[in-house]
Amino acid sequence: MPRLGLENSRLLITGNGSYLADLEFEGCVDVCFVRSPFPNAEIARVRPPVGSGLSGAELGIRPLQLESRGLVSVPWDPIAIHRVRYVGESVAVVWGKDRYEAEDAVDATEVDYDRLPDGIPVHPEAPDDVLFSTTFDSGGFEEASSAAHAVIEGSFKAARQSALPIECRGVAASHDSASGVTTVWTSTQIPHLVRKGIALGLGVDEDLIRVLVPHVGGGFGVKAQVFAEEIALAALTRRINRPVRWIEDRWENLVASAHAHDTGVTMRVAVARDGTFLGVDADVVADVGAYSVWPFSASLEPATAAASLFGPYAIRAIKYRARGIASHRCPVGAHRGVGINAGVYATERMVDTIAHELNIDPFDIRRLNAIRTMPCTTAAGRELDSGDYLGLLDRLASASAYQELRRSQRQSRQEHRLVGVGIGFFNEHSGSGPSDYRRRGVTTISGEDSARVVVTHEGRLQIYTSAAEAGQGHAETYRALAGRELDIAPEMIDVFEGDTDACPKGTGTFASRGGVGVIEAVVQALRKVAQLDIAPGTDVTHVHEAKQLYPSGAHLAVVEVDADTFVPRVVRYVAIEDCGTILHADIVDEQVRGGIANGVGCALLEEHRYSAEGQILTASLLDYLVPLVADIPHVELHHLTNPSPGTTLGSKGVGEAGTIGAIAAVSNAVADAVFPLGVRLTALPYSPTRISDGMPEALPDR
Amino acid sequence: MELTLNVNGREWRGDVPGRLILADLLRDRLHLTGTHLGCEQGVCGACTVLVDGEAVRSCLMLALQADGCSIRTVESLAPDGQLSRIQAAFLRHRALQCGFCTPGFLMSITELLDSGQRYNREELAEMLSGNVCRCTGYEPILDAVLECQD
Repeated sequence: MPRLGLENSRLLITGNGSYLADLEFEGCVDVCFVRSPFPNAEIARVRPPVGSGLSGAELGIRPLQLESRGLVSVPWDPIAIHRVRYVGESVAVVWGKDRYEAEDAVDATEVDYDRLPDGIPVHPEAPDDVLFSTTFDSGGFEEASSAAHAVIEGSFKAARQSALPIECRGVAASHDSASGVTTVWTSTQIPHLVRKGIALGLGVDEDLIRVLVPHVGGGFGVKAQVFAEEIALAALTRRINRPVRWIEDRWENLVASAHAHDTGVTMRVAVARDGTFLGVDADVVADVGAYSVWPFSASLEPATAAASLFGPYAIRAIKYRARGIASHRCPVGAHRGVGINAGVYATERMVDTIAHELNIDPFDIRRLNAIRTMPCTTAAGRELDSGDYLGLLDRLASASAYQELRRSQRQSRQEHRLVGVGIGFFNEHSGSGPSDYRRRGVTTISGEDSARVVVTHEGRLQIYTSAAEAGQGHAETYRALAGRELDIAPEMIDVFEGDTDACPKGTGTFASRGGVGVIEAVVQALRKVAQLDIAPGTDVTHVHEAKQLYPSGAHLAVVEVDADTFVPRVVRYVAIEDCGTILHADIVDEQVRGGIANGVGCALLEEHRYSAEGQILTASLLDYLVPLVADIPHVELHHLTNPSPGTTLGSKGVGEAGTIGAIAAVSNAVADAVFPLGVRLTALPYSPTRISDGMPEALPDR
Repeated sequence: MELTLNVNGREWRGDVPGRLILADLLRDRLHLTGTHLGCEQGVCGACTVLVDGEAVRSCLMLALQADGCSIRTVESLAPDGQLSRIQAAFLRHRALQCGFCTPGFLMSITELLDSGQRYNREELAEMLSGNVCRCTGYEPILDAVLECQD
């Protein structure tokens, strides 16, 4: 059973971790997937080698389907049977005694495709390719815009990107015919949801599936989907009655796991002469790829992006339309911050655009419009639990010496250096619970988080949770908490996660659930144990129904763009974050710093590209650029701690804040740096190519 | 094909197919699973090992190319359970989260430290640009290396 021991970091640092690819199974075969080279084709015939391969039809997996409000429900065959809809979609599984032989079996598989023409719907159920659609209207936008000094328009695009954990995905499965139980080891963030997805695909009871999670080499959201490969390996081991494993390679990871973002936001903002935001009208369009990801669906990116627009600003009128459009590209799923990244990025670029138009300082316009009373319900219907938004901005100004920065920027510009200052000011929703999912009409995700605490007869404390560790330091946090709550030494505490048999049922690890619902469940269970005097034999489970909370932050980046090469470089970074009560100071800082590095990549480097024919052009890490050591600045990190009333300890979660703030701050800083050149950047990433393509004098030549 | 090499101080001799990459030899035949495969495209650096003292991506090297060579993997850094200086510094500076990239970083850094040369922060950032970490933001990794140069 996965156990997060006190010496976990020591295990990892000596090369003694047990990641998926490190597990050994007697008699195991290596599996490969035969993947479509075409973005849109009917499958005429699939002939894998006899005895070492099965087509999608032969594997017999039931199609999965999702229902929720605003969603067009389309069936998803985990292994395609009739039609492929993106390059990399699987049509068959093959196997061999090692990966080399399995790849030989891929080469030996004959597949006949009938190419389909452009212009026919991706799914017949959605003739206009709209898989998800929603609207919101607080009322009052028309009145606001007719009374406004100006209505300013802007359109901003977040790139298609990858979460890119350094460990790719991986699955192993083994079937015990005596008990009928299929055990699946998988590198996932959501073990119980994986069990549910597999049970649905196989048409068996969930009790007959056990999901185990070994060490996970990073998730960042992409491992919070239930994947075709997890269902296929469970089906295959039952069919061929021997252990099977599949270790994803980076090519597969880049072309066929799940992408993220790829969302454009077009806005009209009504403003008063003094810069007060009066109303927002937005249209959010996300390219969600070929299918609804399971279980989050095509609503994930567009719905969260729209809900995040103008989050920390006091606005009386907001209306938006948000759509998820199907395409012949890799399905879009979660990545650290999900649609909040696109929503906050578009908002913060828009705020700077408005500030320029009205000739107001970007800091001043944010301070003017920041929400001042807390808690409050916003025009968009969000119930903000806590925070001090003016405090965030004022701390940012003092910590960065903002006025001095602007003075030195003016000096640099006189020297013809391209120096820019950018702010990213945001709130974000974390820890979505049952009521949040039901409100969106989502029934597949329970939204519960749970913890079980056992006092053994030897006096040891065992903590089991519904979360799944992927490097966030869950066990370290629980041990520190248990020490405070029960005065028990860390070496007396055993932590278990990632076992659907031993751990209580729950939603998993994403959206900072660890710092919201999971930690609440742990605290409540620990307190019940305390009431029972920590008596040996005590066995307590607490299930928590979380509700969305709103961490917040204000980031500032200084970027210098090389005047010859247009290479942007972040030269200074200041972050003020408010995740409420800090549960573990080191871990909070690590989450923010790591998140910022991810955000710098999203702002400056990372982008998946497809050719006009639908072929992916970024299938290796030579083409899909990720931030390296020299790309990441030192982060000057400061904390405000406004506790949330929504959790007993006051924590709000901190997993995504760094990324969300950094995309906005860094993109604004690059845009500010090249503003004197007449370049107006709108589409991420703000790379040297985007800058040079945006040069006004470059246009006549093209 | 016949292959002889020395891995972490022990001689290994065996018959391997020509297409076997060094990383798979280490992981699957020698069960040294501390060497991780992150991209098999020569970019992420997770599979870095030392071949005759030089940092090499074991995903891009055929096992046969290492015939007669001495290989060091992450498992050699704490042979008797005593952490090496850089491993201890990694723990102290909290320079790992998920730990998947860590063995590759440790081997790249071991090559640097073994050279006896001292580098400043900017130089180190360039020299470690062959290893990708998605968790830490790199700062604690640089702190750990700088401490070990003192």
